[in-house]
Amino acid sequence: MSQFQRFLAKRLAISIGLTLIAVSVIFVVLRLLPGSPFEALVTSGNLNQQQINEIRALYGLDQPMWRQYIDYMTSILTFQFGYSILRSQPVWDVLEPRLVNTLILLVPALVTTAILSSAIGMYAGWNRGSLLEKGSIITTTFLRSTPVFITAIFFIIMFAYNFELVPAFGMRSVTASPEGYIDTFLSLDFLHHYILPFTVAVLYYSGDFLLLARNGIVEKRGSEFLKLHKAKGLTEMQQLARAGRNSMLPILTYFALRLGMIFQGLILLEVVFGWPGIGRELVLAIQQQDYPLVQAAVFIMALAVIIANLAADVLYAYFDPTVSTGGGSSA
Amino acid sequence: MSTETKPKGQLYKRLDRIRGIIRNQFEFLRQDRLATIGVIFVAGFVFLGLFGPALAPHDPIEHDVRNDDGQILRLAEPSGEAVLGTTAFGKDVLSQFLAGAQPTLIVGLFGGIGTGAIGFLIGLVSGYYGGWVDELLMRLTDLTFSLPFMPMALLLLTFVTPNIWLMTAIIAGFLWKMPARVVRSEVLSVRERTFVKSARASGASDLRTMLYHVAPNVLPIGFLYTAYGVAWAIAAQASLAFLGFGDPTMTSWGRMLRQVFESGNMRVAWWWVIPPAIGIAAITTSVFLIGRAYEEVINPEIQTEQ
Repeated sequence: MSQFQRFLAKRLAISIGLTLIAVSVIFVVLRLLPGSPFEALVTSGNLNQQQINEIRALYGLDQPMWRQYIDYMTSILTFQFGYSILRSQPVWDVLEPRLVNTLILLVPALVTTAILSSAIGMYAGWNRGSLLEKGSIITTTFLRSTPVFITAIFFIIMFAYNFELVPAFGMRSVTASPEGYIDTFLSLDFLHHYILPFTVAVLYYSGDFLLLARNGIVEKRGSEFLKLHKAKGLTEMQQLARAGRNSMLPILTYFALRLGMIFQGLILLEVVFGWPGIGRELVLAIQQQDYPLVQAAVFIMALAVIIANLAADVLYAYFDPTVSTGGGSSA
Repeated sequence: MSTETKPKGQLYKRLDRIRGIIRNQFEFLRQDRLATIGVIFVAGFVFLGLFGPALAPHDPIEHDVRNDDGQILRLAEPSGEAVLGTTAFGKDVLSQFLAGAQPTLIVGLFGGIGTGAIGFLIGLVSGYYGGWVDELLMRLTDLTFSLPFMPMALLLLTFVTPNIWLMTAIIAGFLWKMPARVVRSEVLSVRERTFVKSARASGASDLRTMLYHVAPNVLPIGFLYTAYGVAWAIAAQASLAFLGFGDPTMTSWGRMLRQVFESGNMRVAWWWVIPPAIGIAAITTSVFLIGRAYEEVINPEIQTEQ
């Protein structure tokens, strides 16, 4: 096995271990919660004891704890999430469209901001001390430190309420009844609802990319290879392009990490804009104690992070030969 | 107290030194205009957090604002009776704003300190000892990275009545991972320096070397991340309160925003939205601006850490 393969195997093993532990932690936390979603059904008096027992058996709650744990692990790890208690639908049928809605909002936003704010950041870093540099730093510091729902509220008040340019809530207007994804997303009505949350997401993500890119360029500015390029007579922009290419790696890995946090990152954005994504669904499910739905949503969020971390690590080790791949964590 | 047993001169010298350090910090921050603004905001915020509830003209929850006819004023614009207007429930917005700073300050301060302290210790031990200690602690860090913070916090807060100390503990329990990683990588480089090696060679114990020779050199980064921890904790507290998982017995800025949002009055009652929203935005941004000023000094490279 080459060194890189060994590194890969170790990272993979760690990721699998982490997944198992994370799933177990979710199990324990959910078991610790007092009360159960069935209690509401039971106390409403609509069920007799026999029916209650049947329901408990249906969800495997009459089994000993270790049995429940094994069943839980196998079902979660095979993506059999069971039935949502309150929606009386398979959990996956509830979650799938929500996942798509979240992805369709946040992936384009993340890509846009990664490209745009990295470019601005590089330009700002190249022109140190310029007005653009100072301005962009203040703006992004505000945007990345302020909780996203505050920025969203400011934008809603301005563009939805005062200027009445866009709707403040939802993904489609109430009267729309689209069939299927294409019908849902390819319409002016959708675009109309999309602009505001998309913009806020772009702005919220922008800070870290901008600073990463700026710092990368600032570090490279005095380096030898740029002096060489300068001596060769390249223009400023050409030099900047060379320096930029050399500071892409941190941006790329950061992009991977952000992508992993996409489902959990902007729960509040989804809540404020009434966007029917997985984050908002999770909050609703927690409030209604719909545990099968909760554990599936949290598991998906954790899994996304674990996979993205793995990807970021591998990406870094693969592209940067100076990172030691031998010891894994001995960097 | 130990002040009795120590000669007075030494105590004064020590106080003088502390005063000198503080004065230097202020001198330094004065040079950065943004950081100066940040310090002013933070000072105002701490003042509000300490005395806000006492300054509030009315009880933020119990009191109803009434007009001359004795009718409860609901959603009233700012006026003589209520300087910042009233809520949909006839409560005084100014009083809620003043009182609402306190939980924000408590969670922010202690959540931040907790985040910084735990992260610093774990990073220090992990980086200094290396080997299986390092491996264990870093896998633990990975685990907290992979457990999504917001969902886990929401889950935990559903099964106990949320109170601000619990929120503080949950926040610190999840956010220490950031300083832990940065401090660890810093310790790894300090550990290899000559003075640490010579300390160990001259027979100093591990604990002594770690605390007296390594720790002081990574302390600035610990402080920096404590400051960031404060901003993160404030943001997290506001977000949780906005989702309805805040301390139900206390008025907080996040909770004010939740009420105006939930009641559907965001469209009309700007006077109810703006004070808490500006409050949260101003304090988190201020803390970050101060942090930035220090970052430039400590290590220009770590600015890139998330």
